[in-house]
Amino acid sequence: MTRHFRLWIMAATSVAALASASPVFAQDVTEITVQRFFGACDADFGTNTDVTKAVGECGIITSLINKFNADNADIKATVTTVEWPGYDQLTAQFAAGDPPDVVTIHESVLSDYQSKDLLLPLDELLASVGVSADGFTEAGRNGVTKDGKIYGLPIDSWTMLYHINLDLFKQADLLNGDGTPKLPTSVDELMAQAEQFKQKTGKPYFVQNLANETALYTRNLYTYLFQQDSDFFASPTKVKLNTPEAKAVVEMYKKIFDNGYTTKDMDYSAAIQAFLAGEGGVQLNGTWVIGDYTASAETAGTELNKGGYAVNPYPQLFSGKKAQYADGHTWAVSAKDDRTPEQTAAIGKFLKFFAENDFDWSRTGHLPAQKAVLDSAEFKALPHRDTVAPIAALGTPLPSSVQRQFAIQDIVGEEMGAAITGQKEIDAALADAESRINELLANL
Amino acid sequence: MVEAVVSSREEFSSSLAGHKAPPANVNAAQWRNALFVAPYLFFFVTMLVFPLVWGIWLSFHKADTFGVGKFVGLANYARLFGDRIFLLSVGNTFYFVLLTVPALALLGLFLALALNRQTRTAAFFRAAYFSSSVLSVTIVTLIWRIVFVPDFGFLATVYGWFDTKAPAFLSDPNLAMIGIAIATIWWCLGLPMMLFLSALQQVPAEIYEAAALDNANRWQTFRSITLPSIKRTFILVVLIQVVLQFQLFGQARLMTQGGPNNASKPIVLYIYDVAFKRWDLGLGAAASEILFILILIAAMAQYFLTRNRGEN
Repeated sequence: MTRHFRLWIMAATSVAALASASPVFAQDVTEITVQRFFGACDADFGTNTDVTKAVGECGIITSLINKFNADNADIKATVTTVEWPGYDQLTAQFAAGDPPDVVTIHESVLSDYQSKDLLLPLDELLASVGVSADGFTEAGRNGVTKDGKIYGLPIDSWTMLYHINLDLFKQADLLNGDGTPKLPTSVDELMAQAEQFKQKTGKPYFVQNLANETALYTRNLYTYLFQQDSDFFASPTKVKLNTPEAKAVVEMYKKIFDNGYTTKDMDYSAAIQAFLAGEGGVQLNGTWVIGDYTASAETAGTELNKGGYAVNPYPQLFSGKKAQYADGHTWAVSAKDDRTPEQTAAIGKFLKFFAENDFDWSRTGHLPAQKAVLDSAEFKALPHRDTVAPIAALGTPLPSSVQRQFAIQDIVGEEMGAAITGQKEIDAALADAESRINELLANL
Repeated sequence: MVEAVVSSREEFSSSLAGHKAPPANVNAAQWRNALFVAPYLFFFVTMLVFPLVWGIWLSFHKADTFGVGKFVGLANYARLFGDRIFLLSVGNTFYFVLLTVPALALLGLFLALALNRQTRTAAFFRAAYFSSSVLSVTIVTLIWRIVFVPDFGFLATVYGWFDTKAPAFLSDPNLAMIGIAIATIWWCLGLPMMLFLSALQQVPAEIYEAAALDNANRWQTFRSITLPSIKRTFILVVLIQVVLQFQLFGQARLMTQGGPNNASKPIVLYIYDVAFKRWDLGLGAAASEILFILILIAAMAQYFLTRNRGEN
């Protein structure tokens, strides 16, 4: 009896083991590969599925994907986190024929991959899961539309902002009667306020990451070229940067540098640390830090908690159109021949999930890409959204037909940095930037 | 006894001859001998020779990451030598080699001389100085970033005690390459030290005893015995380091990203930027061939220097 029982148990165990290893069970879970930037924070949010508890880009996107996996037992989204922006790796993956299924791509970069037919047009897939491009904001829809087709699910619009330490602004006597910061309306006024700030606080007006940096220089230049109505990319394959408008912008930033109105030698993370430590009045950083800075300002004992934290779009310093450089993040889907219908359906569900949870993503500080969220009372009630809301109208990208925008950003940043820090004459730097970019675009 | 052995050998030979033909010359060329080198040859051809030829072929074409376009002859090379950033990166690479190789050779020799003794303290320091070599480039650059980062870094803290500002090794165009060189020397010092140690331990003690009997002082002993004895190792260390440091990439990529304004961009980082950021694979391949030639010259120098030494 005992022997029979033992045999029965062994047989049952074997059957169970074989069954669990059989493809029948494996087919029940459809795996899709997801690749993203926004950093890694598994120690804090690796298992969190309560998105409301997450803060910051990394925390929210990690929790959102966790929640997607938890809500969809039949799908497993396997995530690879890459260092920002991750395009070198992505390009190599495409070249090797092994791209991820879904990947974060900036709107400004979509053209690079779309022009090589590496991305899947999403019109049909989005329609199949009930996501309509009509629901996207205008900026979002324009950002993902190439040749009349949708090549990404826009999840936000972002831009650079003035992040302000109100305690230091108060010390510098740069607050309005209602407690809001006084911002300049011209270059001369900016210099006067920066000087006043330096005299009264002993600290620089700006906290900037000028070391090992190209993006900040470039975004600043684009913003103030837009504000002067400069059509510097009239042709997508030829730039005009050796112009009086560009010179005016570089001269302004050089003056800020030379007069000590900015921190120097700091890289990105050092600049964030410096701003949080109260080392300067205004940090030039993106929408993505609003959530983290708000959290810091609400924490007792922090520098931002002393007098508060405010955030505003870049001030209008020139007499042209009201504008500032903007871009957006999207989820794009790689074009693959060997994808199963189940995987395609799973990707559709993934995109729908992010479209439906755009509010949670907008808590990072980015503007939502869904009109309904942008207009919602829930979004408007988030901290500082009243002051940053105008960027929905101000935000201006480069023409989407301009390719290699990140490589161009590096060139502009290198040359502008050299001019501002005095390694090069401004005219020479602008001429070099122009010729280097045009050489790049001539050899696409 | 000897006759008995000879006789038994002859019997053994004749017995073999009786059964089969005498063996062929084992040194004769036979195709099946190639089987011994075939595994290595396979990987050598597929992993080294083919990519090399493919790279040369690419350098004559307009190519991006996703396909090869038309033949452009030497146009990529012409673009390369008209690109001041490339020329700057070549200059930066030579400057970096100049900063690191002598320092690595001399410091490695100094440490080896100081630690070439059988004590526990020496063993501890040998392990300590070698320990940095086992770290990955990511960890090394992270450590040195913590040292160099302005305002909050170790260096800034130390300078702060004296109310002075620390040099900006990560953002000053005149210091960026020096900062990378310092991190590299710290990282790579272990290997030269170990090579010198092994060379020093092969110098016969009798020669030093003879020198001591001749009343030679330390300097004379070092100059006349130690240095000549380890000369080949010295050349080896220098040339290994020249070849290695020509391929600078990770430290520059992670510490300064080649900046400010390309002041610390080495050739490999230039190739990476051109091929992977700009997708200009033909130009990147052409730059790779130039780097290949530079390293080949260094390797040939090693070959000729060591060969001449051997002949002498």
